[in-house]
Amino acid sequence: MKRQIPLFITFFVGALLIFSVFIPPMESAGENFTLFFDIIAVFAFFLGGGNLLRVHITKLKRRKQDWPFSIVTIAGFAFMLTVGIFKIGNPGGIAASVTADGSWFQEVFNYVLTPLQSTMYALLAFFVASASYRAFRAKNREATILLIAAFIILLGRTPFGLMVTSWVPESLSVLQIPNLAIWIMNSPNLAGQRAIIIGIGLGVVSMSLRLILGVERTYLGDDSG
Amino acid sequence: MIIQKRNKITKVHWLLLLPLLICVSTPLVAAQSGTSANPFDTTLIVPDTAAVAAEPVTDLTVADHRYDHGEKLDLTWVPSADDPPVGGTVVGYRVYRIADGSEPVLVAELPPGTNHHTDEGTSADSSYVYFVTSVTTSAEYESARTEAIVPNVEWLNFDKKYLFLLALIVGGSVVIFIETARRGKKLFVRKIAGLEAVDDAVGRATEMGRPILFIPGILDMDDVQTLAGLTILGRISRVIADYDTRIFMPVSRSLVMTAGRETIKAAYQTAGRPDKYSDDMVTYVTDEQFGYVAAVDGIMVREKPATVFLLGAFFAESLILAETGNYIGAIQIAGTARPAQLPFFIAACDFTLIGEELFAASAYLSNEPKALGSLKGQDVGKAIAMAVIILGVVAVTIGEAWQVGIMNDLTDILRAIFSTM
Amino acid sequence: MDHLAVWVAAFLTLGIISFLYKDNPWYKLSEAIFVGISAGYWFVTLFWDNIYGKFWVGKGEDPMLWVGAALGVLMLLRLIPKIGWISRWPLAFIVGCTAGLYLINYLSSNMMRQVQGTILPFFSSQFGSGFDATAYTIVGNIVVAVGTFTGLVYFFFSKEHKGAFGGTARVGIFFIMLTFGASFGYTVMSRMSLLIGRVDFLFFDWLGMIK
Repeated sequence: MKRQIPLFITFFVGALLIFSVFIPPMESAGENFTLFFDIIAVFAFFLGGGNLLRVHITKLKRRKQDWPFSIVTIAGFAFMLTVGIFKIGNPGGIAASVTADGSWFQEVFNYVLTPLQSTMYALLAFFVASASYRAFRAKNREATILLIAAFIILLGRTPFGLMVTSWVPESLSVLQIPNLAIWIMNSPNLAGQRAIIIGIGLGVVSMSLRLILGVERTYLGDDSG
Repeated sequence: MIIQKRNKITKVHWLLLLPLLICVSTPLVAAQSGTSANPFDTTLIVPDTAAVAAEPVTDLTVADHRYDHGEKLDLTWVPSADDPPVGGTVVGYRVYRIADGSEPVLVAELPPGTNHHTDEGTSADSSYVYFVTSVTTSAEYESARTEAIVPNVEWLNFDKKYLFLLALIVGGSVVIFIETARRGKKLFVRKIAGLEAVDDAVGRATEMGRPILFIPGILDMDDVQTLAGLTILGRISRVIADYDTRIFMPVSRSLVMTAGRETIKAAYQTAGRPDKYSDDMVTYVTDEQFGYVAAVDGIMVREKPATVFLLGAFFAESLILAETGNYIGAIQIAGTARPAQLPFFIAACDFTLIGEELFAASAYLSNEPKALGSLKGQDVGKAIAMAVIILGVVAVTIGEAWQVGIMNDLTDILRAIFSTM
Repeated sequence: MDHLAVWVAAFLTLGIISFLYKDNPWYKLSEAIFVGISAGYWFVTLFWDNIYGKFWVGKGEDPMLWVGAALGVLMLLRLIPKIGWISRWPLAFIVGCTAGLYLINYLSSNMMRQVQGTILPFFSSQFGSGFDATAYTIVGNIVVAVGTFTGLVYFFFSKEHKGAFGGTARVGIFFIMLTFGASFGYTVMSRMSLLIGRVDFLFFDWLGMIK
């Protein structure tokens, strides 16, 4: 019973949503799901947030490695909850929007969260350089193709690309790097993308059916599937 | 023996529940009745002797919109004679609706030149009459009214018949092959390198005494890639439980935390080691994309996992995670269905599951006939796609280049079948 | 206040960048601040938008909201060990909905639309134009059709990659690797521009203040 009901729920709602696409009176089922999901996610956050606090409080109590930083995490979390839920430091008071200009909540977002987000994003420049360095040591045919294509597209987006192949005659202008880059993006790249996307579509159909039919059930804590 | 920490409601949980309880305990105000406020100014402009004149529209007809549940009606008309591109007096049209004999309500304001409109505010239990006015700078001129119409509810959308047919063929193939496999027929599936390496990757972590890190992507349970990652986790967890290897699974969404715990716990129970399971194997970090990545990077360099699985939906952070894993010398198996992130995984990881291989992985790893049967169904879909591409390309090439009628007809049929509605 | 804010932003920026050297207390501090504050930020935003906005401001008129709330409460029952198994029901609901919703959507947009887009005439510049394509267009259209077809052959699970089939699959992986290389090269420049933004902040907004 405990195992059967969740499987039945998955099957029933899955089948309902599949058929709702073809039955006009049921077309809003997909929108309703988005509504449900947003609400459930907020309730679930109590579990997640509670877990975050429990982990760090435990680390603090047991003086595990790096425990002082757990104080910072807990303090940051508590601070944002307090100023956000009770709108402390909000120029418009409790009735104003929580993200009102000048509110402590928004100021912390602007001067703490935004620089942190931007900097993490900026780290990608360093990581893409290290990944490119590794790709340059192409050891097989596939990696070589990846490298050459990346090189052409990269050069094609800079003035250097045009400079390097400016000697190519006009009748063969497609071999100039910027034009070659455009052609690669419009033709072979498109072909590869299509093959991957078609495969993904079919993979989703297959996996969704396995979930709906109960062939796949480990996420329900049932490993007998 | 590890004493399993039971979940219980702590003071922390009550503190978080407090604002929620305050909000929902307030009595609800009864829903307002009646129609919603009309955003348009509904006053008809009455023409006077000094007004700029225009002819009303003609041949105004109303028809039921196909394949809806009574919420749409289609209107067409012949534009006013004073609506030429240059020099006309009409500056626009207004569409008015009369529901069940009540007062006219303005439902649309349209630019000059328009000759049709779909009203999406109707209901199947009311009768409607329409008229359209030609609007000038000082007045509007009413057309003849339509006959009363009650919208129909259609129970099936026949515009999507080909989509239904294809879903039936592909889905039916999956079901048939699952059933065939259940009856004992052996199904061949070729080797997928990344998945063949899973056992060795877990074994490596066990031998080195270092943990495994599993990252199920950064999206929530409403994304199909996250579900794919969790189904693979189910298979990998069995191996982990058998080998008694440590696993860390930091997650970015609370629901994924819940599902991840259920998955790993079930694996340990099946392996006969329920006491080895701990909820601390799966921990919530933050919903913020880069906050999560910062924390996971920290875990990687401090815990130094021997094996990292990156399976699910990833965005820009894919490269940060993969490069950090590479830096610590972990063996990495990655997979995502986002084509834009696959190149970074290819460059930084040891094995990458490309697109549909992510969705096939759990079936492949289970090695169970009924799961493998679903992979055959995928192949049926691919075979259909390949056949249609060959047929379509040949037909359209011959038809277009040499104007062969039958080939053009075939192309039209194929393109119509595969058009999406 | 602005001065303090810029110094805080600069401190955190450099803290994150220090990770490139190695893990250190400065990075750990920045990470701890990031996790704590972002988790709190997200919860507050979700609370005001989805709970207050829909149940209080919206007065909970839509009955579907209460279905969602009921499922949410069932999820929280996980905290009570004896009846915690009920929390699987909302999980099953979500999984079923996601699977059902995505199945038809992906079949339509990923498979049907892509197949339709691949049906292109080799020798015509567009539909109805006859035999008028340039060599550039002819080669391009042939490449798209061949690349898509061979790429699908590569992903075929039911046959070993041997013989003619294996040769076709190798052509397919050639196209797929080309695709990945193109994506890689395309995004390198945009990643560099992100770094330029932070360097701009550090050298002009922050250090510019000191000067």
